[in-house]
Amino acid sequence: MKRVGLYLGCNIPFRRPDVEYSMRYALKALDFEVVDLEGAACCPAFGSMPSVDLLAWCVGSAWNLSIAEEKGLEYIVTGCGSCYGSLNEAKYHMEKHPEIKQKVNEILSSVGKKYEGKVKVYNFYNLIYDLVGLDELKRKVKFPLKGLICGAQPGCHNLWPEKVFPANDENTFQPKRLREICEALGGEAPWYSTITDCCGMGALGTLAKDKSETLFIRKIKTMLEEINPELYVVGCSSCLLRGDNRQAVMKKEGKIDFELPAVHIAQLVALALGAEPEKVLGLTEVPIEKVLEKIRGGA
Amino acid sequence: MEGNLIKLSEEFLQELWEEIEEMGMSVKDLRRCIQCGRCAATCPMALAGLDYFIKKIVHASILGLKEIFLEDSSIWGCQSCNRCVEICPMDIKPYELILALRRMCMRNYAMPSSTIDSLRNYYEKGHSVITAGYEERRRKLGLPEVPPTVLSNEEMRKKFQEVIKQTALAEVAPFPLD
Repeated sequence: MKRVGLYLGCNIPFRRPDVEYSMRYALKALDFEVVDLEGAACCPAFGSMPSVDLLAWCVGSAWNLSIAEEKGLEYIVTGCGSCYGSLNEAKYHMEKHPEIKQKVNEILSSVGKKYEGKVKVYNFYNLIYDLVGLDELKRKVKFPLKGLICGAQPGCHNLWPEKVFPANDENTFQPKRLREICEALGGEAPWYSTITDCCGMGALGTLAKDKSETLFIRKIKTMLEEINPELYVVGCSSCLLRGDNRQAVMKKEGKIDFELPAVHIAQLVALALGAEPEKVLGLTEVPIEKVLEKIRGGA
Repeated sequence: MEGNLIKLSEEFLQELWEEIEEMGMSVKDLRRCIQCGRCAATCPMALAGLDYFIKKIVHASILGLKEIFLEDSSIWGCQSCNRCVEICPMDIKPYELILALRRMCMRNYAMPSSTIDSLRNYYEKGHSVITAGYEERRRKLGLPEVPPTVLSNEEMRKKFQEVIKQTALAEVAPFPLD
């Protein structure tokens, strides 16, 4: 059995544990043994340690990766784009600068830990794409999406900087992988012109709330005009917080006139593989009943 | 008399350069910038309309205008998306400049309160972001109330803090690490 370390991060376990539930369910259904990384901490997020010092950032990431190494794992998976980016960027810096890696290990050794750099860090959709494959995924689908039109949003940190990731789209400015997964589940996921646009969540959302919301509105309005999706499918938990939780607030505040249900790709995969809808979609805020009915109705 | 004069000496211009070099950015790389604007065309900060987006930040850094970064908070709105790194024809890695500037600002205690909160959460609990009410949300889904991270493991948390205390956070954190 393939073993995968489940790296949780912060937003998924605390804010959207339905994504954690979905990742656990989907990975098991796809024949992975899911290994918890007990004692893992924040990736660390870009606004925290990376903004303090390069070595401090690497120490924070190496702490997490050393836990995966101790468990003899070859790879771990994240559902959050920031975790995916931060861990892989830190890995890249340590690889490129052996003197940093050495200093990291001097610090880690004070508590009996060691970082070697052996563990690959995947995000959820690239793990499925590379280590399961679209054919196998298709074979495991119990509830196909019945042509559901999906507006795919891979998310910035899942794409760039290209050089640091173990897997990626061939052309990151014309991403296809997330769309192909939606299609393997039985949906349609056409290209649209704002597919790589930033959703506005993150540091910008904290610093300039209203301005950051204009990015989201422009992205979604263009998508609605061009492909009129029934569901917004994101590859990153921050994009989910923006696409679902924040969208619901914006609707209440009268800032938007659309209502587009949103899920993380792990939720969509879990749903198609047979997970309980009440758990997979248990924390969704934008009404999603129509989508659920289309996929699971009459089952 | 001297106190009222603006010192436009080479020394003054170089102060910022020296600081960002120390924080990991190559000024030699930075000075290759031709202000072509490709980074600005993809930068979420520019699209959202922040006063100082990536192209202007690079320019101000080349001019050594340190005060701008201590007073204007734009650099803290960078999404860390790395589009600028991917697209820059001169390969100057603009995002690494943002991080170097943030590190310089931290050493001058010029940072948003949200940054302080996330650093304090990170050190004390192991997570930069903890949203209240998570126990209930997790229980509803049949997951353990506290996730199997450093938050639920006292022994690992102590070790984690021991490690973090040995980093530069100990020098710049505006709160005690104990």
